[in-house]
Amino acid sequence: MSTTLVWSMIIIYVAFALVIAYLSRNGKQDSMTGYFLGDRKLNGFVSALSYSATTYSAFMLVGLAGLTYNGGIGAYGFEIIYFMGVSLVAIFGPRFWLVGKKYGYVTPSEMLGDRYQNKWVAIVTAISSCLFLIPYSAVQLTGIGYLLQGVTNNAVSYTTGVIIATVLALVFSYIAGIRSVAWTDSLQALVMIITATIVVILIINGLGGITGFFDRIETNHAEDLTVPGNGYFSFWTFLGLTIPWFFFSISNPQVSQRLFMPASLKSLRHMLMGFLIFGLIYTIVSVVWGFSAAILFPDLENADLATPMLLSSDLVPPVLGAIVMVGIMAAAISTIDSILLTLSSLFSRDVYGNMKKQTDDKKQLKVGKIVIPIIAILAFLFAQLQLDLIAVLSVASSAGLIVVVPAIIGTFFWKKGTAAGVISSVSIGSLAVIILEFFTITPLGLKSGIWGLLLSAILYIGVSAVTKPPAEKAEEFIGYVTAKLKSNK
Amino acid sequence: MNKKEKIWGLTILIIILLGYLIPYTLLSNVAKWYGSFLLWTVLAILIIAANYMLTKDWSDEE
Repeated sequence: MSTTLVWSMIIIYVAFALVIAYLSRNGKQDSMTGYFLGDRKLNGFVSALSYSATTYSAFMLVGLAGLTYNGGIGAYGFEIIYFMGVSLVAIFGPRFWLVGKKYGYVTPSEMLGDRYQNKWVAIVTAISSCLFLIPYSAVQLTGIGYLLQGVTNNAVSYTTGVIIATVLALVFSYIAGIRSVAWTDSLQALVMIITATIVVILIINGLGGITGFFDRIETNHAEDLTVPGNGYFSFWTFLGLTIPWFFFSISNPQVSQRLFMPASLKSLRHMLMGFLIFGLIYTIVSVVWGFSAAILFPDLENADLATPMLLSSDLVPPVLGAIVMVGIMAAAISTIDSILLTLSSLFSRDVYGNMKKQTDDKKQLKVGKIVIPIIAILAFLFAQLQLDLIAVLSVASSAGLIVVVPAIIGTFFWKKGTAAGVISSVSIGSLAVIILEFFTITPLGLKSGIWGLLLSAILYIGVSAVTKPPAEKAEEFIGYVTAKLKSNK
Repeated sequence: MNKKEKIWGLTILIIILLGYLIPYTLLSNVAKWYGSFLLWTVLAILIIAANYMLTKDWSDEE
């Protein structure tokens, strides 16, 4: 792909995104709620696109296509199970939204700390999120670096790519907090879904239409249409991969925080339905890319090359290929900028706000704004170092964040849950996941995410059973949600 | 959970379980487009429908 073309697309994208970010600056950004939650006034359309952009990182069009290339249709099933897991928003969404409004929560950790009446709950869960999500962002940056380097034959160096992405993520989160993030996310998601779908149509046409496409897979890659197929997706691998991702929508703070933002339950509904439609199209597109690469380039050494090869092929016009390539870069940025904001709010609200006496909203916002570039630089440095541990933490992120799931379910459904139960389940659970991932051990053949979930559930329930719950708060909190949801139906 | 959440929540749970079970049993030898590919697509659409039903009455009260 020509370097001039890629650079031109990057410049056009940056120009458009900056204008949109600038225009998004309505409303006040001088409070935590204004800066990090858009004053809880996000409309359904922007919420849906931004939620999709944040959820679907560069992993989809590169990683999922590669996973399909390697493992066949099991990759589709994996992503569909994850997609189905977002139904958790239909149950937890209104609950997060109601209590967020009533008690003024800015972060999911703050909600846990208040519900369990213990500031250490907020601190521990916030730190555990940072521990997994900073490396996760670093790996996203690494991905952009390699991608740009690869498609331009080293004309855009690895470091240049990483710097561009870091600076853009920083700028988008700085201009107007969540508002600029949400609007630039929406731009990215819209452009991406349209262009990626056009690419699919062109490729399928080139391969002889839908019939021709499936004929070629059925003839030459028949095992790719079944699970376990070539053995890549054995049932236990499938289960181990899908379980952590299934809970993504409530375990990952950069998406669960979104549940505080919509203007009304109706907007929340639009966010959910919009995401589901977007997600299904995007998933099918990524998987078709993977299959097409398997048909066209059956002997790739590295499956992550499936997407770059396809976009550089004769079936895709160079301009479209370049747009999609820059779109993939934008997809990684739209994930990182949301994580930056969420982590900064977790740090300022839950760690700083609880550790330091006499802080107020303004001071927390100030600290939050200082922390954003620090986290970005940390992610950048991790991306440069390319340490093994960073890669391990990133892979472990979905499994590591799952340990908070029992505590979140208990928040709304179990009055007997206690702070000690949450702290032990989250801290020991995270540690167990890190150890399993670091030494690559799978006891009884089960992956770290399953162990993390089991261990944290046992600890949460067990420790809660022998400690004293915050009975009054639990009664009031759960009672409020139940009463509200009854009157709402 | 209210009644509506229980009914549709259970429906969603069953759809998800089918998404794990059928491809690894009934369809593990059906190497055609109408095998696991079609099944997962149909289940995904059913999930959209279930979520639609579950969230139908969410109000626009701010």
